[in-house]
Amino acid sequence: MKLEGEYTFDGPREQVWELVRDPDVLVTALPGAKSLEQTGENEYEGEMNLRVGPVAGVFAGRLVVSNEQPPESCTLAVEGKGKQGFVDGIGHVNLEAVEDNKTLMKYEGDVQVGGKLASVGQRLVETASKSIIRQGLDTMNNALVARLEAQQTGEKMEFTPPSESEFAVSVARDMAGEALSSKAFKWIIGAVVIIILIIILVIINQNGL
Amino acid sequence: MNDHVNVSILCNGKKYERMVEPRLLLSDFLRHELDLTGTHVGCEHGVCGACTVLLDGLPVRSCLMFAVQANSHEVTTVEGLGTPENLHPIQEAFWEAHGLQCGFCTPGFLMTLVPFLKENPNPTREDIRTAISGNICRCTGYQHIIDAVQLAAEKMSNP
Amino acid sequence: MTKKYLGQPITRNEDPRLLTGQALFVDDVDMPDMLHAAFLRSDYAHARLKGIDISTALERPGVVAVYTAESMGADWEPGPPLVSPPPTVEDVVFNSRRQVPLVKDKIRHVGEPIAVVIAESRYIAEDAAEDILVDLEPLEAVIDLEAALEPDSILIHEDLESNLAAQLVQNKGDYQAAREQAELVIKKRFIIDRGAAAAMENRGIVADWDVKSQQLTVWDTTQAPIPIRNGLAARYGLSEHQVRVIAPFIGGGFGPKMMMFYPEELVIPWVAMKLGRPVKWIEDRRENFYATTQERVQYHDAEIALTREGRVLGISDQFLHDTGAYDPYGLTIPLNTQSHLLGVYDIPNFTSEIKVVFTNKVLSTPVRGAGRPQGVYVIERLLDMAAKELGMDKVEIRKLNFIPPDAFPYEQHYIDQAFAPLIFDSGNYKPAIEKAVELIGYEQFITEDQPRYRAAGRHVGIGIVAFPETTGVGPYEGARITIEPSGKVNVATGVGTQGQGHFTTFAQIVADQVGVDPRNVNLVTGDTAEFHWGTGTFASRGAVVAANAIHASAMAVRKKILEHASKHFGAPQEELEIEDGQVRVSDLPRMSISLGELAELANPLRGAVEPGTEPGLEATAYFGPKYGATAFGVHSMILEVDIETMTVDILRYVIVEDCGTVLNPLILEGQIHGGVSMGIGNAYYEKLVYDENGQLLNASLADYLIPTATEMPHIEIEHQETPSPLNPLGSKGVGEAGAIPVPALFAQALENALSDYDLEISETPLSPNQLYELLKGRS
Repeated sequence: MKLEGEYTFDGPREQVWELVRDPDVLVTALPGAKSLEQTGENEYEGEMNLRVGPVAGVFAGRLVVSNEQPPESCTLAVEGKGKQGFVDGIGHVNLEAVEDNKTLMKYEGDVQVGGKLASVGQRLVETASKSIIRQGLDTMNNALVARLEAQQTGEKMEFTPPSESEFAVSVARDMAGEALSSKAFKWIIGAVVIIILIIILVIINQNGL
Repeated sequence: MNDHVNVSILCNGKKYERMVEPRLLLSDFLRHELDLTGTHVGCEHGVCGACTVLLDGLPVRSCLMFAVQANSHEVTTVEGLGTPENLHPIQEAFWEAHGLQCGFCTPGFLMTLVPFLKENPNPTREDIRTAISGNICRCTGYQHIIDAVQLAAEKMSNP
Repeated sequence: MTKKYLGQPITRNEDPRLLTGQALFVDDVDMPDMLHAAFLRSDYAHARLKGIDISTALERPGVVAVYTAESMGADWEPGPPLVSPPPTVEDVVFNSRRQVPLVKDKIRHVGEPIAVVIAESRYIAEDAAEDILVDLEPLEAVIDLEAALEPDSILIHEDLESNLAAQLVQNKGDYQAAREQAELVIKKRFIIDRGAAAAMENRGIVADWDVKSQQLTVWDTTQAPIPIRNGLAARYGLSEHQVRVIAPFIGGGFGPKMMMFYPEELVIPWVAMKLGRPVKWIEDRRENFYATTQERVQYHDAEIALTREGRVLGISDQFLHDTGAYDPYGLTIPLNTQSHLLGVYDIPNFTSEIKVVFTNKVLSTPVRGAGRPQGVYVIERLLDMAAKELGMDKVEIRKLNFIPPDAFPYEQHYIDQAFAPLIFDSGNYKPAIEKAVELIGYEQFITEDQPRYRAAGRHVGIGIVAFPETTGVGPYEGARITIEPSGKVNVATGVGTQGQGHFTTFAQIVADQVGVDPRNVNLVTGDTAEFHWGTGTFASRGAVVAANAIHASAMAVRKKILEHASKHFGAPQEELEIEDGQVRVSDLPRMSISLGELAELANPLRGAVEPGTEPGLEATAYFGPKYGATAFGVHSMILEVDIETMTVDILRYVIVEDCGTVLNPLILEGQIHGGVSMGIGNAYYEKLVYDENGQLLNASLADYLIPTATEMPHIEIEHQETPSPLNPLGSKGVGEAGAIPVPALFAQALENALSDYDLEISETPLSPNQLYELLKGRS
């Protein structure tokens, strides 16, 4: 399954790069991540709670960073294994400096899933992945903003990452939202309003008002 | 490690009290705790309908319920419909119209149809097809089942 | 012989118990001290197994044992081959690789069992299975058939030189010469995929080793208990009489429940013997998609050579058959395909090469149809294409090429799956297709109804196809009939029953011979303690082979009844008649004795018997046909396609079937309806989707779509009876007939409904998605 996208960070490239390479920030950005330990110069290992539709479980993960060209690009290889199956992904991340001191991140990758995740959750994996990535990047961006503010004011950084349930709720909302496109939403709401009006008219009529 | 909970369930007119794990499925409770093996398990994800039983008179998938959820409720299984010596008209109708082959899905169909026929004593073949569209049968192609339901409707309106 | 019951639509003996929840299925078996098993299965399609850590699993409370391939030691052995290579054909390539009890070093398909947990409950066993840590080295998965045969493809069985499992060429006449003479040659590639049997009951085994009596009892959802018994006895060094295999009521078989020697069938009895406690394993639905066999893809490169008048001179078909990770069933399915590639037609020249290919998918073994639907698909599609090219009517081109009724027995001059020369025993095709044409109103539809539909913007089409079905293969079956002092008749036979109504059809046969009501005939099937010679229920052979064995045995019992009664009354046998459980002298109603009393007299507690006497009124007989009988049929349907949603509505479905002598028309119709529902599933709704890593993406009934009542049409059936000369009853099998022609029929009817799009359908199964893709870009 191919995954690609873009995200704009509210900060300069160098700072974004630092965040990406900081395990304490990553662990807050990855959903349900319980721990992320640096086990080698470019290797991290940890555990995450993953929920995709009806499939939920703990995944033991390994993240390897390679082809580093700071602050421009790198390759991330992710391996996650759990009772519910496995996830194998490889992605390339590119950071571009854009105006207003912001950074445009472009990512593209390939993810393979197997086990229960593939056979029962497969339809949802793509949507869930995009959502998880977006939520993670939002969290990282919030951390970036907090860090920049702290640097400016000299105060301690105030940043609370979203809780696991908040994260899951956002992902679920994203998935439902994608399933029901906004165009359909408008039609349905419109239809419901009309039906309610008709019912009201009928009641009024029947009661001879 | 797994706390056991007390459940009290009225099943086919008889009261049963047992200590069960909260995660025990109603289908497993009926089949293995109460030894009522007429209810069959086909998929455990709520699609095939073989496990259908009546909960307070309404059809439910017993594979999607926990036994504890049925606490203080009334459950009816296929064993509560009739016996080989004393068949319910719908069971008779299935027999006469050859509405079953391997018989595995049959109890689920019967329990779905009992409330259906109560609400729809004179259904058309189309009505019946829709009513049983939530029950999968791999053997019959459904045609003789529909014949059986029409026959049952006839029997039940002229007892 | 007064034929009172055979041929009658008698309601079934077994129904009252099934209807009231009083019938025993394997999961209903409960024994004191019983343990429960759960298997840890591979998430990867192709991987090397480096290590297994079961320590955490063993610590979980309630877990009694965890076994791996290593634990089995010298008892670890792959399953036995189920068929041998064809002995009568030269230049056969045959690499037999069978499934293993538990993975030892290499995983070859998703779902292969790696370890088994034995615990006090199924819930605990499943929890503990997840505690097991497995160290795997994933390998690239081999999925595509053609890529699998490339020289640089990764090997699934590394001791072989390639992923070629088997290869066989068969010839009839001289196809090349025919091709040169032909005025029209059409070449086409067909991609045919099938699916799962998905019986409503998943598999299950309960095994009990009783140390004190040294008896192993196994309840198994198998269609073939006798081979399982023999295999288990051989494997564990027991006498066959120490092993009892019982196939109780089974919730649908359809092929995959045959004598596969599934890993679970090898492991669970072994565990029971090791632990000395009964062990139960019940498959769940998701497991069923990975652990129970299926039928798989075939790629056909086919060619038809004809004259300008539409006479078929020859057929050529080189095809690849996907066997999955192992091939215990050898060439059976593709040989069946070859047996059906010439359809019901008189085609003098034929050449076909089979290549069976290993892939990293779940095993492919016979599923209702077992290769026949694929053969019928190719020939019927080729005829449709030829008809279109020549501007001929679809019915006319078929009638022109039918095997004429005086050509039977018709020798095909190549071999079938039983390794015998393929011979069609009897047939009469023209009246069948003419009847179908009449019933469905073919002429009227083409000339009046369809133009009207078209004018109204509706896409309604008609299809009609003819097909043979090879059935009733040997080797043999047997039966024993006993009349008890109570007057009840006991029948025992080796085949199992999965809903085909054996308890009733077989009772009807006995009732006619022995003069009792079928309701008083008690039949036991599928219990090796009751009868232990035979093979099993598959390949549409129950109504032929087992039924004729029962018939032979019933006739033998009848003979004994008459002999004993004749002696008893001092009257010649010709003057005796048997009716309603009584034997009487024709014109002397007072000289009458019940069968029960006669049975008692035939088994004296005192006195002497004459030498050579067999006690009681009992007889055992066997039947083995010379070759398999060939049934046939014509299916026709009218369907409508909704151009926007691509959903299909079948407006009419008509069948003319001929399976020889009809034993019970009610049961026969049920079998056909069920077959058609599987055929419709195979044509438009069911498909097992594997991704490029060998992951099965729709392993649940939510995503694997089995037709429900709203997808099924009302089916109209007309019978024709062309008896088989191969057995006394004249019967042929019909169990698979409903499923065989449907994909070909669907393709034809869809093309006809969408004729303004000028489609050429060469793939099955289709789906609304695929149909949409096919129509895109065509006017």
